[in-house]
Amino acid sequence: MGISDKAYKVLSSIPYLLSGVGITLEITVIALMLGTAIGLFLALGRVYGNGVVRRFVIFYSRIIRSLPLLVILFMLYFLGSEIIDIPAFWAVILALAIHTSAYQSEIFRGAIQSISMGQMEAALALGMSKYQGIFAVILPQSLRRAIPYWANEATIVLKDSALAYVLGITELMRRGEYVSARTSQPLLTYIVVGLIYLILTYAFTKSMARVESRARIPGLER
Amino acid sequence: MSKSILRVENLYKKFKDTEVLKGLSITVEEGEVVVIIGPSGTGKSTLLRCINRLTEPDAGDIYLGDKKIETGRSNLSKVRQQIGMVFQDFNLFNHLTSLQNVAIGPVKVKKMDKKKALKSAMKELERVGMADKAQNYPAELSGGQKQRVAIARALAMDPKIMLFDEPTSALDPELIGEVLEVMKNLAMAGMTMMVVSHEMGFAREAADRIVFLEDGVVAEMGSPEKIFNNPEKSGLGSLSAK
Ligand SMILES: Nc1ncnc2c1ncn2[C@@H]1O[C@H](COP(=O)(O)OP(=O)(O)O)[C@@H](O)[C@H]1O
Ligand SMILES: [Mg+2]
Repeated sequence: MGISDKAYKVLSSIPYLLSGVGITLEITVIALMLGTAIGLFLALGRVYGNGVVRRFVIFYSRIIRSLPLLVILFMLYFLGSEIIDIPAFWAVILALAIHTSAYQSEIFRGAIQSISMGQMEAALALGMSKYQGIFAVILPQSLRRAIPYWANEATIVLKDSALAYVLGITELMRRGEYVSARTSQPLLTYIVVGLIYLILTYAFTKSMARVESRARIPGLER
Repeated sequence: MSKSILRVENLYKKFKDTEVLKGLSITVEEGEVVVIIGPSGTGKSTLLRCINRLTEPDAGDIYLGDKKIETGRSNLSKVRQQIGMVFQDFNLFNHLTSLQNVAIGPVKVKKMDKKKALKSAMKELERVGMADKAQNYPAELSGGQKQRVAIARALAMDPKIMLFDEPTSALDPELIGEVLEVMKNLAMAGMTMMVVSHEMGFAREAADRIVFLEDGVVAEMGSPEKIFNNPEKSGLGSLSAK
């Protein structure tokens, strides 16, 4: 069997691989939405919450960030099989969301704290509540600053979603494994799989760069 | 008889071990322009910040009109709406245009209709000579322009008194004049003002009273003529030379 035959076998599986992209994206997007919401909430608690809230967020962030994603995933999954049944699909999403929420809480905390105290003071001095100050003044500025860091974290979630394969979800990575076994061409297969991840990541990074420049405040350099 | 708009009685404030305000009392009458001077670190900013409760005083009473300022939350917003504050480093909202900066207070705090707020914001910008920069963001403005927008933002809340904390000391010398000009006009229009500033020209021209703070209390106080010509305190002697 020549090189081209081998290549042909793998290449003809590309449509099959691509049909796993949908699930990969589904997992990524849902995990990101959850993780971003939780991360932002935690960051607000960390900066504006009382002592108990602040300590909880610090504790949560430290614990989660010191656990391998795979361990979080297995804990959730087996917690699932032993107590309540969490489907593999949701175990993956939850694990990714919890994992990224800890990192995102740090990103958003940094972005919030990078806005000078004077901004909140000016808001309060006008008669705004702290809550109004946060939502009308602090967040619009800090979220803009967070965009590139958030985008980077989002690509990590996209790549980490490959871990779903250990629970047998037929997303991109899992399909790669099938194709590799069927064609006996692991190297070539994973090169193709890798290229697909690369294209996804590149497209996402590019579009986030556009979002960032659109959101840029005129005259303000970073 | 003139009516006092602001009355500060026996104000105390310390940070950790540093006593800053040590029983300071001061009264501002309606329409009066009080210029506060004093060495750096003597508590001028702390005084202004205690008045609108950006800083919580340790002891002492502050009255706005005949109402005592308390620290209840809903009450505090009402009090702050009536006290305009202009900061040394402007603190304009960086993500908003000049016009939006001026309109946001009335919209968020007074729940004013947005169109109406933008319209009256434009009037305030005209008042400080910044109408042509209405659509520019703070980062596109010079320091003097920023401070004029910041004054317009405070005025938009229709305050009973304006507090200025060294409004020109972050500015390049050539930009100071335009801000002082706006403040003089404001003073002439009858606004009650409490101004921390070392601009002696402004004090001489616009102040009704000059207050010299030292060691956390009012060390001397009087009309510009009295302060400049017959200072009781040796520390003030150097001022008349300026
Ligand atoms: N938030 C704070 N925490 C600790 N010390 C402060 C704080 N604010 C002001 N101070 C101290 O209080 C003193 C008076 O400060 P300030 O009111 O800013 O003086 P001024 O405006 O007259 O220069 C200074 O010694 C300053 O270091
Ligand atoms: Mg000061």
